[in-house]
Amino acid sequence: MEHQSHILHAFDRDLESIQANIMKMGGLVEAAIAQAATALETQDADLAQSVRAGDKAIDALEQQVNEEAARILALRQPIAGDLRTVLTVFRLSGSLERMGDYAKNIAKRTGVLMAMAPINGSAKSLRRMARQVELMLKDALDAYIQRDAGLAADVRTRDVEVDQMYTALFREYLTFMMEDPRNITACMHLHFIAKNIERMGDHVTTIAEEVIYLVEGAYPDDDREKGDRTTQGTGNAR
Amino acid sequence: MNVMQQVEAAVTQTAPKISAKAVDVFYGDTHAIKAVDVEIADKMVTAFIGPSGCGKSTFLRCLNRMNDTIDSARVTGRIDLDGEDIYAPRVDPVQLRAKVGMVFQKPNPFPKSIYDNVAYGPRIHGLARDKSDLDAIVEKSLRRAALWEEVKDRLTAPGTGLSGGQQQRLCIARAIATGPEVLLMDEPCSALDPIATAQVEQLIDELRSRFCVVIVTHSMAQASRVSQKTAFFHLGELVEFDDTDRIFTNPGDHRTESYITGRIG
Amino acid sequence: MTPAKSLLAADPRTRARNRAEARFRALGLGAVLLGLGALVLLVGTILANGAGAFRQTYLTIPVTLDADRLDPAGTRDPADMAAVTTFGYAPLLAQALQQHLRQRGVAMEGIGPRDLMAIISQEAPAQIRAMVLQNPDLLDRTLELEMLAGGRIDGYFKGRVTLQSAERDANVSPAQLVLAQAMADAGMIETRFNWAFLTGSDASGQRPEAAGLGVAILGSLYMMLVVLVLALPIGVAAAVYLEEFAPKNRLTDVIEVNISNLAAVPSIVFGILGLAIFINFAGLPQSAPVVGGLVLTLMTLPTIIIATRAALRAVPPSIRAAALGLGASKMQSVFHHVLPLAAPGILTGTIIGLAQALGETAPLLLIGMVAFVRDFPAAPPEGLFDPASALPVQVYNWTQRADPAFVERAAGATLVLLGLLVTMNLIAVMLRRRFERRW
Repeated sequence: MEHQSHILHAFDRDLESIQANIMKMGGLVEAAIAQAATALETQDADLAQSVRAGDKAIDALEQQVNEEAARILALRQPIAGDLRTVLTVFRLSGSLERMGDYAKNIAKRTGVLMAMAPINGSAKSLRRMARQVELMLKDALDAYIQRDAGLAADVRTRDVEVDQMYTALFREYLTFMMEDPRNITACMHLHFIAKNIERMGDHVTTIAEEVIYLVEGAYPDDDREKGDRTTQGTGNAR
Repeated sequence: MNVMQQVEAAVTQTAPKISAKAVDVFYGDTHAIKAVDVEIADKMVTAFIGPSGCGKSTFLRCLNRMNDTIDSARVTGRIDLDGEDIYAPRVDPVQLRAKVGMVFQKPNPFPKSIYDNVAYGPRIHGLARDKSDLDAIVEKSLRRAALWEEVKDRLTAPGTGLSGGQQQRLCIARAIATGPEVLLMDEPCSALDPIATAQVEQLIDELRSRFCVVIVTHSMAQASRVSQKTAFFHLGELVEFDDTDRIFTNPGDHRTESYITGRIG
Repeated sequence: MTPAKSLLAADPRTRARNRAEARFRALGLGAVLLGLGALVLLVGTILANGAGAFRQTYLTIPVTLDADRLDPAGTRDPADMAAVTTFGYAPLLAQALQQHLRQRGVAMEGIGPRDLMAIISQEAPAQIRAMVLQNPDLLDRTLELEMLAGGRIDGYFKGRVTLQSAERDANVSPAQLVLAQAMADAGMIETRFNWAFLTGSDASGQRPEAAGLGVAILGSLYMMLVVLVLALPIGVAAAVYLEEFAPKNRLTDVIEVNISNLAAVPSIVFGILGLAIFINFAGLPQSAPVVGGLVLTLMTLPTIIIATRAALRAVPPSIRAAALGLGASKMQSVFHHVLPLAAPGILTGTIIGLAQALGETAPLLLIGMVAFVRDFPAAPPEGLFDPASALPVQVYNWTQRADPAFVERAAGATLVLLGLLVTMNLIAVMLRRRFERRW
């Protein structure tokens, strides 16, 4: 779709400004996810601390974006595609801010975990999961800025892998906890980290759905595959 | 705030271009404007909004002494332009109106050629020494009014032959040809269709880098799109005067909120 | 619940209303037809009476301009030749006619030499004399000269005079009519278009065939000129002041009311005024176009002022506001914008005022323009002070004369007057149409 500018140039400037801020937020969140996962893997306390501190910037950006978007609604009365642009900005900023919080949470738990004995292989799996989510987020943001509904749909389908990874880790941690009760504390933290990453994946999916709404004007049908089998009977040891 | 808004915030710090104190206007016995104090900044668009009959057009006409042409009008109080009282006895309204231009609600080009329309003001004020000077002024004004490209090949065509939006831009070009510092606009878009309105609004946005623009509008959407400061008039009083952002997201006075949300007429 | 009425069923109320409307339209059409009928009757009557004035009977015969009789001194000097009056020319023409008739073999029973001369107009000798005095080289030459036929002869060819009426008529006999008919058959007499009616000057009561409107038309023209030069600037200036500059107070209202009243004052009152002020007090010459023009100016002034004010009001206030907003002074906005835009309306009003003034008779009678004026007034500005006549006054004058031929002349003059009025009004309408603006 060719991009025609508004006769009133200031309107274009305002829309570009909030979208640029969303991309900025997205970049910060992507970095936060990568750094949190790396800190967990390499047991880097300073990196974890910087992730926790960096969340303030993400929160500040969310507030700024929300204020600017409210201003656009009041002063420009956007309709049709412009209205969807502004509405999706609200929801994207919300999702990105939650993802930033999860990254911060991961970094917090990393600090705690470093004081305990490491569980073998756990960090690697988590790293892989986080990497998957990070790539999904990057593609979702690309789809957003390029208005590419196909790419967004593709991102939606990849969440099932994240869910599957989470299910596997869930079972793994259960096994670890059943093997050795001393692992329970560490495994609980690891589980929460896995859950956070899985939630992040869901948020990226939300972002992708918003992109489809932005481009096509309607939300996609809710028949994407869900891979979270944890509520379907895990063969627990009772 | 984005960059534009920061620049605007910086501008307000300097001295106001127009400052009105305790201004009252009477039409015979009718008290049309009641004790209005307002400071209008330069290089910025200030909008006057309010329901019909609230006095916004009356107050606008005080700023270039057009109310002098109405016999029953009486203005008290003080209005300063760059610190000089415009109602001082020594001030000639004719000279004032060369400094403070006006654009009216219905486009009213003279039934002359486009060139003569724009050249009339400079001619009567003796702003051009010769023909080439005058040509330069006409071209500059038409360019600034975003009309030059459309009419440069037909400057001798009658001004009344243009479309509505073009005519209004011609009137704007005519007003800025005298080199004013302030531009007053009385509902300039109410006779235009939406596309022409958008073009004139974009023009106003460009003009504010050179002029102090005061625009009266009955469309709140237009005030929100175009202005940086908004004054709300009601029953002859100035109820609220603040940044446009604030007026339209969180006004201070409940009357303002009632008006802009469409709860009172 | 009342049943719904079908659109296809006729409603008695609507039908009654339609009938009333049809009746009204018929009445209106009837009124229009009545007015038109009266107009057609009026114009037709005048046309029937006056058409004849535009044709005149002339006879063409060879005449020898005998130098011995016309220039006895032999000097070919017009000053000397002027000593020979029309009494010298008349017999010459009579002889020439007699000779020519004999040559052509036209029977002349019962016609004596004096009767023969009656066929030629009494004006003819004077015309021939004027021609010779202007051009003495014509002497001793034999020329085919065209001259006016006598008034009754002219009347015979136009059907006014018949053989029966000639028996009772002192001025013409049936024998002369028979001769005239014979001459016409021989090709010596013909009736053709009469330019002299429009260009010639007035003639005495005995010679209706020579009477023309030239002086009257010129007099009217001069008066129109005076009216235009005086009434237009004064009227426009007064209207501009009243409309644009005068303060809106009681005095202005009084002035406005009085101007409207002036337009309704009977025109004869202006005549009395003109007599008292311009002729008695200021001592201007009687019967002069300048006096007539001054009186008509006073009469036309209210019309022009009212028309100008209407034209000024028709200019939309947005134009004035635009001019003032640019920093023009009141005078600049009026003279640069309002007046040029009001000009077509002012012009139309002026033309209509002039047309009205053209047809005014009563005031001109009082200032003496009813006199018999024979000589053309000189060119303006001196000519404005020479005595002259005016078209409507000339009509009045001719209707007062005894000779029935003057009735035809008067009707013809009325046609000329009507023609001028219609033309001026048409021009006004055309101008209005052409310059009408759509704001």
